[in-house]
Amino acid sequence: MTGVVDGPAETVAVVPSVDVAPESQSVGWRHRHLLDVDGLTAADLDLVMRTADAMREVLARPIARVPALRGRNVTLLFYEASTRTRVSFEMAAKNLSADVTNIAAASSSVTKGESLLDTVRTVEALGAQMLVMRHAVSGAPYLAAEAFGGSVLNAGDGWHAHPTQALLDLYTMRSRLPGGFVAGRKVVILGDVLHSRVARSNIWSLTAAGADLWLCGPATLLRGFDAWAARGAAAGRRFQVTSDVGAALRDADVVMALRIQRERMASGLLPSLREYAARYGLTRERLALAAPGALVMHPGPMNEGVEIAADVAAGAQSVITDQVTNGVAIRMALLYLLAGVSGGPGSEDAA
Amino acid sequence: MTDLDIGRAWLVDPASGREGPGEIVVRDGNLEAVTWLEGDEADGIGPAGVIVAPGFIDLHAHLREPGNEDAETVATGLTAAAHGGFTTVCAMPNTTPALDEPGVLSQIRAAASASGSPVELLAHGAVTAGRRGEILAALGELADAGVVGFSDDGAPVRSASILRNALAYAGALGLPIVEHPEESALTDGAEMGDGPVATILGLRGWPVAAEVLAVARALTLLGDVAVDVPGARLHLTHVSTRESLALIRMAKDRGMAVTCDVTPHHLALADEWVAGSRRFAWEAVDDAGGARDPWADGALVAAPYGSALRVNPPLRCAEDAMACLAALADGTADAIATDHAPHTEVDKAVEFGLAANGISGIETALGVVLAAVDAGHLTLIRAIEALTTGPAGVLRDRTRRAGRVGLVEGAAADLVVFDRSDRWTVTKAALLSKGKNTPLLGMDLPGRVLLTMAAGQIAYEVPSD
Repeated sequence: MTGVVDGPAETVAVVPSVDVAPESQSVGWRHRHLLDVDGLTAADLDLVMRTADAMREVLARPIARVPALRGRNVTLLFYEASTRTRVSFEMAAKNLSADVTNIAAASSSVTKGESLLDTVRTVEALGAQMLVMRHAVSGAPYLAAEAFGGSVLNAGDGWHAHPTQALLDLYTMRSRLPGGFVAGRKVVILGDVLHSRVARSNIWSLTAAGADLWLCGPATLLRGFDAWAARGAAAGRRFQVTSDVGAALRDADVVMALRIQRERMASGLLPSLREYAARYGLTRERLALAAPGALVMHPGPMNEGVEIAADVAAGAQSVITDQVTNGVAIRMALLYLLAGVSGGPGSEDAA
Repeated sequence: MTDLDIGRAWLVDPASGREGPGEIVVRDGNLEAVTWLEGDEADGIGPAGVIVAPGFIDLHAHLREPGNEDAETVATGLTAAAHGGFTTVCAMPNTTPALDEPGVLSQIRAAASASGSPVELLAHGAVTAGRRGEILAALGELADAGVVGFSDDGAPVRSASILRNALAYAGALGLPIVEHPEESALTDGAEMGDGPVATILGLRGWPVAAEVLAVARALTLLGDVAVDVPGARLHLTHVSTRESLALIRMAKDRGMAVTCDVTPHHLALADEWVAGSRRFAWEAVDDAGGARDPWADGALVAAPYGSALRVNPPLRCAEDAMACLAALADGTADAIATDHAPHTEVDKAVEFGLAANGISGIETALGVVLAAVDAGHLTLIRAIEALTTGPAGVLRDRTRRAGRVGLVEGAAADLVVFDRSDRWTVTKAALLSKGKNTPLLGMDLPGRVLLTMAAGQIAYEVPSD
């Protein structure tokens, strides 16, 4: 059932029939967990995109619901506040007819000092089959995956990874860029790259997709990325790192602004939000440096007037609401694909 | 007392600079005869088989007693030491309470005595009261009670002024300050060694500069103090970066009274282990000595974020590990110290960023160092020297063996016998320490220890099966 797909990007994935249970067909997905995007091949990415296409069709139906995950439990374990990602996962799971359990860390025994491993074992004993997890500490989902018998989906861990965000970003670019491809297109990630799991995951997926990727921000918020770029180039994954916002934006096809947090001033990384907005904020004037019709993206939540001007966020080039809608389709696709590996309701563990 | 005959082994005696085929006879715990074999008698005996060396000396081990006996006790720590071939262990003073006055020293000595272990327990005292960095600990009383150095290890001595005073005061007592070099302002919240691996994993980087600055601070203060106190001595422990070692090499060339040690994990493991690599540092560098990319190499074979790899100082890039090896080979590093840091499962079975720092390492030190020898990065005799006469020199022979750390006829037998060709698998069950927190679990290491003798008694003997 878990055939290996490891071919070149041109490999045409077998698109699953998402109206039926995933374990009843072979679609060439081999990952039990989704912890990062670094392990996904070009063929894997292609399969996710095509499955998300099928999910978009489901979402366009009058009743946007298929029975594919009926009888399965999807538990959302969020150790960090999140609205859009949690709701997006919840809607995705419900659209697939899964049973959803929500655990916010603040209202659970986590606040009584229960360890992550204990919590994971407990939710599994309570019937969790797929665990969607958000955590403030990088790498926490890997620890959970060691103890959990089903599939773990990383919904964001520390500074490390936010795989579904990167995949919905890729999906949004592919659906909105002329020609429908990302290869060779100039994509700029602008802002607090250092603390961004979105940026890190996008580095893997966008370099795999062949984008001309640029990271731009104040030097203090790019620390370490030049060294990564140097190694990445040697391994065939190229990206540029610069503090020169003009050079970064010139002729860009996509500009993704990242959230700036107030804590960055307290830790001495930035003089002020005002100075950041003046030098790096995505304003209409700066956007004019990019290619005509360049896409404007933001993973949210936005500080309008800081990293992105309100008129740019709401402007004709913005695909920010597309990102939100596509997020549901991508998360449906991933839940569906992972469910095919971890086995159906009542099945033996397919590790 | 013990009688023992070891025939036809490879003897390594750094004190005399000699290694070769030989035989050992122990009678009533005394090393009665050391016979070097030559000609036909030596046929078939080589350095790849059974080796006899003086018992090892560890300058830096955390025995956790008093205060954290769930992680280790003096008794289990000494048992583990003997399993690792160590017959002298210097306990670090970051216990609860800290070893900042002679009462705590009496307590751990009583525990060692009660354990029945013949392994020698030495101790460093704290530099400052409670290791809080504010006022000097009872340095003179601790010296009178027999500590072999002073350290606030676990953390650096907090301020330059306290460190300067400590170097002077301890220097007049004839004892070194054993400094943990770390500029804390640069390591607040740090999780692993700075570099591309940390960047990719989204872990807060622990800059090389934090160690280099602290080494420079300590060396500068030593120079300042030495004008008035010629006996002032500085020992920098668990040095882990090329830049720090370059500064120490320069200071030694200028004749400064500085010594240093490196740990087995810093010379053999690299930051890429946190990403899931399990290759030794010498396998992780390219021909020019630069660190390779484990992602591109397909070298990531284990799950990332293993909390056993969380350690202070952190594992650095492979280039720094190779610099530690080179410093050991050229004598810049005087000793190998284990920084044995056992922890409970509770303190380690958590998210990487929340895990306690430290590796349980006293039982794997020999195997890791032999792996470096096998790979050709260190000679066997230099490796043994760094485990015996090297640390004895740092201690100015303040062990019960005094000036007789070696295969010395007429002395109480103090030696380790190991089979370099006999590999053993590191498992939780194989480790005698309470601390099972080692990233080497599941790996095979060369050099199974067959026998450890301390003060003429058997401290460890491989189980016969």
